[in-house]
Amino acid sequence: MNNRNEENLEELFGKFFNPEEAGQAEEDIRKTEQILSENPAPKPDEELIADIKAQVTAVLLHKTAFRQTVYKVAAVAAIFLVLAGISVKLFEKQQSERIQYASIMPAVLWESDDIITDDADLAVLNAEIDQIENDAIALRLGTANSNGNGDLTELETELMEIDNDFWKG
Amino acid sequence: MTNKDNLAKILSGCKVGESESFSQLIDIYANRLYGYFYRLTGDKNISDDLLSELFVKLVEKIGSFKGGVFESWLWKIASNIFYDYLRDKQRQSKLLEKQKSQLELKSTEPRKSDGEQLDNLQRQLEKLDADTKELVMLRFYSQLSFKEIAQMRAEPIGTTLSKLHRGIKKLRELMEQKL
Repeated sequence: MNNRNEENLEELFGKFFNPEEAGQAEEDIRKTEQILSENPAPKPDEELIADIKAQVTAVLLHKTAFRQTVYKVAAVAAIFLVLAGISVKLFEKQQSERIQYASIMPAVLWESDDIITDDADLAVLNAEIDQIENDAIALRLGTANSNGNGDLTELETELMEIDNDFWKG
Repeated sequence: MTNKDNLAKILSGCKVGESESFSQLIDIYANRLYGYFYRLTGDKNISDDLLSELFVKLVEKIGSFKGGVFESWLWKIASNIFYDYLRDKQRQSKLLEKQKSQLELKSTEPRKSDGEQLDNLQRQLEKLDADTKELVMLRFYSQLSFKEIAQMRAEPIGTTLSKLHRGIKKLRELMEQKL
């Protein structure tokens, strides 16, 4: 509360006015307060007070409703964000799995600089081709320790086998 | 329970949005605030509007009251509402002045609602300037001390005392002349 009742007007006016003025100012204030008390202002109508109370209640309800709406929207937004986060995670996981399944060639071979060395099947194939080449050259030069037609037949058979294996995968 | 404790309890209720606490606050201050507005405007209808505006604003602003003298905080809002009203009135007067110069005299006279008779005090108050009148009414209706009024108006206490003394001296002279 205020401390008006504890206010010492004589002392207060004494600080700012000379003693004569201070006394006059104090009297003027008391006299004016008396005039105002004797001439009271009209009081507000009961209808007005009831109307103001109704307005206040309406504002309070509006504030409460607004706050509740904000909380609800925030809760829905939070749920939506969580679901969105989970969906993104699942989508990413599914996508990575799908890539693995869809891939014909292992990832190691995509990243390899020398496929023949890194892929065992290709290495075997490559070795067989080399051997056949060497055999063919030896036959042509006649340096091979063989009986001629028999070797050629054997070579043709090997080539056919390789050809079949290759297309079988 | 003292008045101070009771007010503190009511204010706590208001802060958490209790309708009943606001109702109690209205019962405590409505008469004094209405008197303050009426003596400043001289019009019941305008005082009705300003009082309603004040309490609606109070609901919105109660959270910003951080303790101290509640009357000082309350009358600060009331004072701002009065000065806003005064500015609007002056703006309207200027607009009217441009359109109809003859309305100027009417707009500066104290307005009153239909069938309302102004008492002698109200007629004499209209002869004071708005700031002095507001200061005198603030002192009487808010029941704040001079120190609190000076703090509220953000001016030195000596300035408040001089302004108030000039105002009440003039008002007293006017009233005594009429008597």
